[in-house]
Amino acid sequence: MKKIFIIVLLGLLSSITAFALDGNEILKQVDRNLNPESFEMYRKLINIEPDGTKKEFVMFSVKKGKEKIASVFLSPASEKGRSTLRIGENMWLYIPNVGKPIRITSLQSVTGGVFNNSDIMRVDYNSEYNCEKIETTDKGYTLYLRARLKNVAYETLTMFIDSEKLLPYKIEAYAASGMLIKILYFKNIKDFGNGIIRPEIIETDSPLYKGYKSYIVFANVKKRDLASEIFSLNYMHKIDGLRQ
Amino acid sequence: MKPVFVILIIWFMTVFLYVSAFSKTSDDILTDLDLGFKLEEIKKKPYSINAEIEITETIRVLDQDALLFKQKYLDKKKEDMAWQTDFDLTLEGEFQKDTIRLYGRFNSLLYYNEEENFESQRKAEEAYISFQPSFIWAFDAGKKVHRWGKGYAFSPSAFFSRPRDIDDPDTTLEGYYSLSADYIKSMEGLVKTIAITPVLMPVTRELNHEINLKDELLWGGKVYLFVFDTDMDFMFLISDNMDKRFGIDFSKNLSPAFEIHGDAALVKDYQQYIIDEYGNISEQEYTAFSLLLGLRYLSSRDTTYIFEYYRNGQGYSAREYKNYLTFIKTGFDQYLNTSSQASISKSRTVSAYYNQQAAMRGYLYLKVSQKDPFDILYFVPAITFVYNISDQSASITPQFTYSPLTNLTLDLKTPFLIGESKTEYGEKMNKTKFVISIKYFF
Repeated sequence: MKKIFIIVLLGLLSSITAFALDGNEILKQVDRNLNPESFEMYRKLINIEPDGTKKEFVMFSVKKGKEKIASVFLSPASEKGRSTLRIGENMWLYIPNVGKPIRITSLQSVTGGVFNNSDIMRVDYNSEYNCEKIETTDKGYTLYLRARLKNVAYETLTMFIDSEKLLPYKIEAYAASGMLIKILYFKNIKDFGNGIIRPEIIETDSPLYKGYKSYIVFANVKKRDLASEIFSLNYMHKIDGLRQ
Repeated sequence: MKPVFVILIIWFMTVFLYVSAFSKTSDDILTDLDLGFKLEEIKKKPYSINAEIEITETIRVLDQDALLFKQKYLDKKKEDMAWQTDFDLTLEGEFQKDTIRLYGRFNSLLYYNEEENFESQRKAEEAYISFQPSFIWAFDAGKKVHRWGKGYAFSPSAFFSRPRDIDDPDTTLEGYYSLSADYIKSMEGLVKTIAITPVLMPVTRELNHEINLKDELLWGGKVYLFVFDTDMDFMFLISDNMDKRFGIDFSKNLSPAFEIHGDAALVKDYQQYIIDEYGNISEQEYTAFSLLLGLRYLSSRDTTYIFEYYRNGQGYSAREYKNYLTFIKTGFDQYLNTSSQASISKSRTVSAYYNQQAAMRGYLYLKVSQKDPFDILYFVPAITFVYNISDQSASITPQFTYSPLTNLTLDLKTPFLIGESKTEYGEKMNKTKFVISIKYFF
């Protein structure tokens, strides 16, 4: 009886470990399906206020590896030339008028609206989060993710994944207190070419910003080999020169 | 000048009302959300031109009893208020072809006040050519701003740039003519990035003459390290005729909401001009040590706090500054009694040192700004305190910034100065100022 109990216990433990591994493997696959490891893209950020007024920002971004991303604003004119850099949990903002990079945090928003810097300078989910639990649903998987480090905008994420495409269709973001901060909806699966098939639009709303909505629209997402030196403070004012 | 002021107020109100109305009735109102990209939004052009136009009305409430007012105007009776209207146009252009990049930022200012009537100024704030043979190397030649240091309001280690305006630390600066290079190397390990920036700066009658009267070639550099998630810089400037400068700075996030930074500078053979209460001017040479420690904190309510402590090793002590003000008082009394301007004129010969911003030894700086209060999006009220530790005088500046429309910013700020007699802020020419501006980017 004792042996049977030990065998069952070991079996249970190994299955839990297998699930955890599966969750992180799925998360890695989701990251690769959302974008190649090294790539460039254009994004339009749209903030919509309760009265319907909207404010738009267009930015060009490059990403390398799991945790390096740099962007430059192309419009509106008041923001043109501003650039952002993220290396792991470190974030900087370069404002042409100020003439030097300053450190910013994941909780701030360089654009205002519901998206914060963590959303705008998104690196691989797998580099920031560990899958603690996985559930299977009718549509696919639900991953329960917890931050690996302290310096992140959201303590936990619940990621709802389409198991056929291995792409998220919804992410709920929670604070350490358990409070729901925002919900991200991934919409319009689009073929960007060269095997990159991913949602074209991310829509978000938040109980903290009632009546406000924000969107990120993706364009020209394509693989690109990038030098590591691009992701440095001294290069921030030159990111626009990377556009082809 | 009052009619101009009234016209401007009416103009501001009209614009404000128009803006408010426009924001409700334009096609910005969302009917059918268009989430598509237009080709011209992302099409790369070899050139780009941007501009910003700013109209500013400044009303200064003068303190006719202040010693710096008497130093400048003697006993001329002026109105208690002075107006100035500024029309400021900045053009920024860029051209890039392969490895060559041309960049220029040009400013043109037309202003009107009672004293000078219409005056204008034009300057190239920056104009340089860059050669970028690779991602690792870049070479720049021309007029460029080298903005070093991690301080927000003060920068003791900004060796190759002009001093920033404490009242508006984010404003653009005018550069100096220089030759510089950038070498960047990224790597794995503890040191993730190293960047080296050597700078050569000629000083002649034609180039950078504001720095020194003697011809020479200043040289220096900066080494940047990104190590342990911390930014660190080591800086130096070597000169044959001026002082030699060495600096270090750092910046690090302790949490997503909490950043700390610091700047330290050692200036060898620093020469300081001192005037005593009897008007004797002497020159003292010493090694000046300046230190800045600061933090930036973002609360859960989106309130940003920027706090800095600044020890200005090149500044004057409370006693030295008081002696300067005492001599102005003596000179003014002498003028009243004898009509002689000799002493007041003598005090003016050192005013460039004593009357500059942050001229004394110790300061505390605190700026508190609140993003989008009362659910008013793109509205940022702020208040800034500058406290002079040496003589306990201070300035307090409430400020309101609002961007009701894309590319349009309205700004109102009113610095109030507080201080006893013979203190830095107690003897400034203005009791307070009202500065209203509207800025449009296109």
